[in-house]
Amino acid sequence: MSLPVDRDLEKPLIALSGVSKTYAHEGVPVHALRGIEVAAARGELLAVMGPSGSGKSTLLHVLGLLDADYQGTYHFDGELISGRDGDELSGLRNREIGFVFQQFLLLPQLSILENATLPALYTRDRAPDVCEKLARQCLIEVGLADRLDHRPNELSSGQRQRAAIARALVNEPRLILADEPTGALDSKTAQEIMDLFLQLHAAGSTIVLITHDLDVASAAERIVHIRDGQIIDGLL
Amino acid sequence: MGSFRLLLRFAVEGLRGQRGRSILTMLGMGIGTASVVVVVSIGLVGRDYVVSLIEGVGSNLVFVYGTGIGPKPTQLSFEDLDLMQERVRGVGAMAPVLDDAATIAIKGEPRVVAVLGSTADYAQVRNLKMIEGRFFTETEDDNLAKVAVISKELHQEKFGGRSVEGESVRLFDLRFRIIGVYKEGVESAAALEKSEAAGMVAIAPFWTLKQVGNAEVVDTLYIQAESPEAVGTVVSDARDVIVAQYGSTDGFTIESLDTYLTLVEQISDAITLGLMAIAGVSLLVGGIGIMNIMLVTVTERTRDIGIRLALGAGRRDILAQFLLEAGILSVSGGLLGVLIGAGAPLYVGFVYDVPVPVSVISVLVAFGVSMSVGIFFGLYPARKAAGMNIVDSLGYE
Repeated sequence: MSLPVDRDLEKPLIALSGVSKTYAHEGVPVHALRGIEVAAARGELLAVMGPSGSGKSTLLHVLGLLDADYQGTYHFDGELISGRDGDELSGLRNREIGFVFQQFLLLPQLSILENATLPALYTRDRAPDVCEKLARQCLIEVGLADRLDHRPNELSSGQRQRAAIARALVNEPRLILADEPTGALDSKTAQEIMDLFLQLHAAGSTIVLITHDLDVASAAERIVHIRDGQIIDGLL
Repeated sequence: MGSFRLLLRFAVEGLRGQRGRSILTMLGMGIGTASVVVVVSIGLVGRDYVVSLIEGVGSNLVFVYGTGIGPKPTQLSFEDLDLMQERVRGVGAMAPVLDDAATIAIKGEPRVVAVLGSTADYAQVRNLKMIEGRFFTETEDDNLAKVAVISKELHQEKFGGRSVEGESVRLFDLRFRIIGVYKEGVESAAALEKSEAAGMVAIAPFWTLKQVGNAEVVDTLYIQAESPEAVGTVVSDARDVIVAQYGSTDGFTIESLDTYLTLVEQISDAITLGLMAIAGVSLLVGGIGIMNIMLVTVTERTRDIGIRLALGAGRRDILAQFLLEAGILSVSGGLLGVLIGAGAPLYVGFVYDVPVPVSVISVLVAFGVSMSVGIFFGLYPARKAAGMNIVDSLGYE
């Protein structure tokens, strides 16, 4: 394993060990993940690269606690979180992980500000106006100060992705998971979004980028390749 | 509390997104609730009406009469009357009735009219209202005075509504001075039970008619108990007299209006209950409507739910949100139903100036039931929403 930058992988933020997942597709067992060993250090910008069908989406689901049905162990900040129950996982997902999806996945009936406020509201430990203030701050940071009351369909796709990033940041999560964040964008907008990720990285965020695009992956400090459900390093 | 307000906000937002069908679902629930309230109101009105008819015949009334059918002659005799006066306790007033008929000339035509003979208490016992003049007195009865009061109907036919002052009528070839015109306290009592005082009737003093008409038996004896509590005593004492005289009560009817009242109340309660069950079905249909709409909503909002779960909403948050949506639908439908169900009778009562009771209990029950129907039928869709697989519902695989 090569480390281009000095990162402390002795105490990683996230660490998967021996993670396997098999599901039945039309009666045929599909080995989506086979013994995945991967870790990301605090503050690292890590890219997971692989073609479609390689298992990278499944890996994202496991990392994002969206899918808890797998074998192996998952340590988050040194704590074993694999095998925890749904309520605990939704709490962790809410506080510790910010998602950025290829399709943005904003709620169309809510304004950008309401969308960005949502994760903070679900934390339930702050008053709604405090949550909204935090969301407003994040939206200003991503450059949407003058779009707060717009609905997603009134924005360009680049702006939508910015809004989604603001939503991912509102609870100041320790991990940002981005799934093909530039996949639905033109190259100029994609570059702007990548710049935003680099900015966040420079500010100390731990980011895992999942992509099949080498241009995107090359912005990362470190790339791991996944193929047929296995990490295959050193092949490229 | 803050989190409840938040969920309420999400639920309202969700409903606002599909305003048309939310309103239609509400309407379905409203109609169900309204029909329960209306049905119970109708039941109560009907019951009050029938009860008032029966009570209008006379309060605390006990009546005794022989049917004439049986091995022995079963007709009340004048001796029985004396025994009744002696032995029956708790009596407020007594009015024996002789039932005869006579032909009189009305506008030159001979017409048969009923002629009743009774005591001065009859007017009170049978709840008669004097329209003109007065009823005869005990003294007139004792003196065999030839006076009569006539019914409103007879008054109308014979005198065309003119004053009866100084008028008389020929009965059994004798001239009876007409001293008053009466009507029954509750006129439609005639429709409910054959009333001897209804129709073309002249009432003369008891002893006068006994003599004039050569009466040998008493047709009916009305006894008004002195209080509602005394009704039972009056009935059993009167029964004892009949048994002492005839060996059994076969061929005699000794009953109080209470018997009828209880029966009517039982019947109207049963009818109301039956109608309520039917109305309840429409509540059930409304509830199924809610379940149907919520299932559609949950399916349509699969991605919405997936996103919320990914952002860290708990399963309970999702469950509560959709349960609240169903609850809002059914509660507002219930309110609407109560508004219609209670408003319509009140409006009708206001317009036609009749008191239409609206049962507060039926309003509360209908409202409570509609709410629980909403929660009950909302539970399944809400559980379905809360149990969604996040990865599948995000739908990008």
